[in-house]
Amino acid sequence: MRDPRWYQHAVIYELPVKSFFDSNDDGIGDFPGLIDKLDYIESLGVTCLWLLPFYPSPLRDDGYDIADYCQIHPSYGTLEEFTRFLHAAHERRLRVVIELVLNHTSDEHAWFQRARLAPPGSTERDYYVWSDTDAKYRDARIIFVDSERSNWTWDGVARAHYWHRFFHHQPDLNFDNPAVLEELLRVVDFWLALGVDGFRLDAVPYLVERDGTSCENLPETHAVLKAIRRHIDERWPNRMLLAEANQWPADVRAYFGEGDECHMAYHFPLMPRVFMGLHVEDRQPLVDILRATPPIPDLCQWALFLRNHDELTLEMVNDDERDYMYLAYSADPQARLNLGIRRRLAPLLGNDRRRIELLNSLLFSFPGTPIVYYGDEIGMGDNTYLGDRNGVRTPMQWTSDRNARFSRTDPARLYSPVIMDPIYGYQAVNVEAQERDGSSLLQWMRNLIGLRKLFPALGLGSLEFLEPANRKVLAYVRRHGADTILCVANLSRSVQPVELDLGAFEGFIPVEMLGYTDFPVIGQPPYFLTLGPYGFYWFELQRRA
Amino acid sequence: MASTGLNSSVGPEPASADGPVVAGLLCYQDADTVGAVVAAVREGLAVHFADVTTQIVLVDAGSTDATEARAREALGDAGEILDIAAARSTADFLDLPYHGIPGKARAVRAILTAASERRAQACVILDAGVRTVTPDWVGWLARPVVERAFDFVSPFYQRHAFEGALTKGVVYPVVRALYGVRLRQPAAAEFACSGRLVDHVLQEDVWERSGSQLGIDIWLTTAAASGDFRLSEAALGIRAHGVRGEEALDLGTTIVQVVGSLFTDLERRAARWQRSRGLIPVEPPGAPSAAAPVAPNVDVERLIEACRLGYRELRDIWTWVLPPRTIVDLKKLLDRPVAEFRLDDELWARIVYDFAIGCRLRVAAREHLLRSLVPLYSGWLASYVLQVRDVSPEAADLRVETLAEAFDAQKSYLIARWRWPERLRTE
Repeated sequence: MRDPRWYQHAVIYELPVKSFFDSNDDGIGDFPGLIDKLDYIESLGVTCLWLLPFYPSPLRDDGYDIADYCQIHPSYGTLEEFTRFLHAAHERRLRVVIELVLNHTSDEHAWFQRARLAPPGSTERDYYVWSDTDAKYRDARIIFVDSERSNWTWDGVARAHYWHRFFHHQPDLNFDNPAVLEELLRVVDFWLALGVDGFRLDAVPYLVERDGTSCENLPETHAVLKAIRRHIDERWPNRMLLAEANQWPADVRAYFGEGDECHMAYHFPLMPRVFMGLHVEDRQPLVDILRATPPIPDLCQWALFLRNHDELTLEMVNDDERDYMYLAYSADPQARLNLGIRRRLAPLLGNDRRRIELLNSLLFSFPGTPIVYYGDEIGMGDNTYLGDRNGVRTPMQWTSDRNARFSRTDPARLYSPVIMDPIYGYQAVNVEAQERDGSSLLQWMRNLIGLRKLFPALGLGSLEFLEPANRKVLAYVRRHGADTILCVANLSRSVQPVELDLGAFEGFIPVEMLGYTDFPVIGQPPYFLTLGPYGFYWFELQRRA
Repeated sequence: MASTGLNSSVGPEPASADGPVVAGLLCYQDADTVGAVVAAVREGLAVHFADVTTQIVLVDAGSTDATEARAREALGDAGEILDIAAARSTADFLDLPYHGIPGKARAVRAILTAASERRAQACVILDAGVRTVTPDWVGWLARPVVERAFDFVSPFYQRHAFEGALTKGVVYPVVRALYGVRLRQPAAAEFACSGRLVDHVLQEDVWERSGSQLGIDIWLTTAAASGDFRLSEAALGIRAHGVRGEEALDLGTTIVQVVGSLFTDLERRAARWQRSRGLIPVEPPGAPSAAAPVAPNVDVERLIEACRLGYRELRDIWTWVLPPRTIVDLKKLLDRPVAEFRLDDELWARIVYDFAIGCRLRVAAREHLLRSLVPLYSGWLASYVLQVRDVSPEAADLRVETLAEAFDAQKSYLIARWRWPERLRTE
């Protein structure tokens, strides 16, 4: 646990506490329940847990509307139980990353209630961004286009408009007021002193507002993040900051600074292009976005994911691509939300096991740290009729018993109905069944995660694309230290031949990594392979005496 | 008593070429032997390292006999005594019977920490309960470090072909196959290491692992074997240990402790041993002459019967870790008469590797699983004894080498199943 680069070779498992396991049968998952399931998480082979918000909150944005930064929502447990969970996770060598929402609070937070009543110009009032008019910052886009019409909302108590980039009940904090950063640094210290290993910094591009700008990615915002990083580095070794910046790679690059800002950042534009490449059966969307990805400082790392707790966001694609993605992956309009598609991995891929495996093979072999969203390891489904993004946040499906054995409570009391359709319902898709099935997706994922951890080159290595004539095949080489890995993937539904120019590796033997099988030695002529539908190979290129 | 040296907050500086040679002695209830061992070490340091600063560090694990008095008497002003008993932690408590120095890992760590703090160029560790220590042991172990820049010198004791069978049949071939080093008696209590290796192992996680008391000897060897270090062997002759008043451990407990520790380490170092290829030659040892070791009694027919009984009683457990082909091959073997009882080397290698994978996958309670290996090991031992009982010591050594080559050949079997396990049973 002393490795300062732990996040660079981690495998992260994302979960909402409320959805994982209910220990007291009140219908809501909790920290004691999470402790009960740590053995399962450990058995997956993941090395880090990312917990979605668990703070006191009115839960109008699933906890991202925080009402108290230094407490636990009573539905999820107590601080003592959180600490117990943290120790139990660390005993299993699992790191724990929690959410830190810097940009805004709930309108029920004491700071906002105090600010509404405080006189204009006072420090307390200026914890938030107020204006007499809703005309400021007009160049800032509205993010939640389905539910918000303006970034300003009138507050009758304060008799002023307050600024919010997300829901109107989430007023933005004002980082032009030094007291705000001081408050948040106290929050940072509180959790790091308990032992958490890092923070996912929610919505970081929007911290500071300036007229005449998009109010995104401003230099002042980066200055705030650098100050937080500096504060942590001076006090808390081996901790990590993960930036949520849904931006183009060139803009996200700035969130790494020169290694003095965030340790990690999500690679948002990669995700839709993985799905697009798969659907058009062409490697080009993936190659283009990865080639457009700038290098990052040595101590930094991309965070990669196929799906998460939000919609499959299509903000970082052009209009044509977005239209294509809607047609390809959400013919049912019910699945669309904001600029995205609110579906889990398995339903997006038509529950096709080969496609699920293929996309996971890409996730685990592209440069970065992979994140697995809870339930995707067993191919859980979703419920697009639950509103907002709640359809991908349903209870974890443990067994075929009532409530998927997530909870013993009355089904009506569950925080969310379990998935019950005939394909993805808990009777068909659950951990217990897949534990017993030696060829289940769950066992396959365990094997893949184990293999990934053996080869740091998969996360850290350089990336070189090969350019075979057959564009349905994606081939790339990862190099790190003495390791050289060749990855080949068939993005199409049919068998594909491919000739690879591996002349630079003449004399090497490709050893297929899953089965440790020697392939014929590489020579000067093109190296010929055939791949089954959605098939993929990982080869370790070995030079033998 | 001096401090344990375990709580130093000051990081060690790198060892220097002119740093001292530190000899660390581990003792517990060794009043009968410690005086002679200390005297031998003093003489060995004086003879072999006359131009080098030397120091003896003795770690006592809470002896209640006259060990400390005898040690002080023999040490004079030549060394210091560290006491680890007072700080013994719950981690040292064992459910299993255990023979050896209580808190062994912490005792070794205390010595290595002392060596690191002194920027020692070499550290040699000896068990003060060994009756056959001579002054030359210090030289044979530490001189390759001081004079020839080796980082780890492992002992090679002269043993009868039947002695140390678990090492010959499991530990040596596994360590050799996985890390590519030919250390024939890994996991011995005595060894020497360079200052560079001392600093490296002090940074390893072996000290905090559960079971470190049992596994530290193996884990230090694999730490050296899996790093960028130069390894060597030193022939020390016969090793005979004084009696600490315990009864011998049963075979099941020994396998749980030794093989279990080995398997635990495999999990931690998987990324390393799956990249290690080929066999790195280890410096051949010298060959001090010694009297021929005494042959222990081995009842081959009883071993085979234990294996047959195991097949009848434990086959259900074996089916969790052994593929059907192996079970069938075992049945064929057990049907043979004693005179033809030969367990194929590659079959044995695959059995050992399958148990390692079974432990990794937690297919059954770990101790239960390891204990189910006992009849299979008995079968291997019977087969081995039948093959070497009438041959010369050199031919017996060659037989062990042939077995090790089978483990080398089956390494790809282990890697393939380690990476993509075949879950034989899932309910």
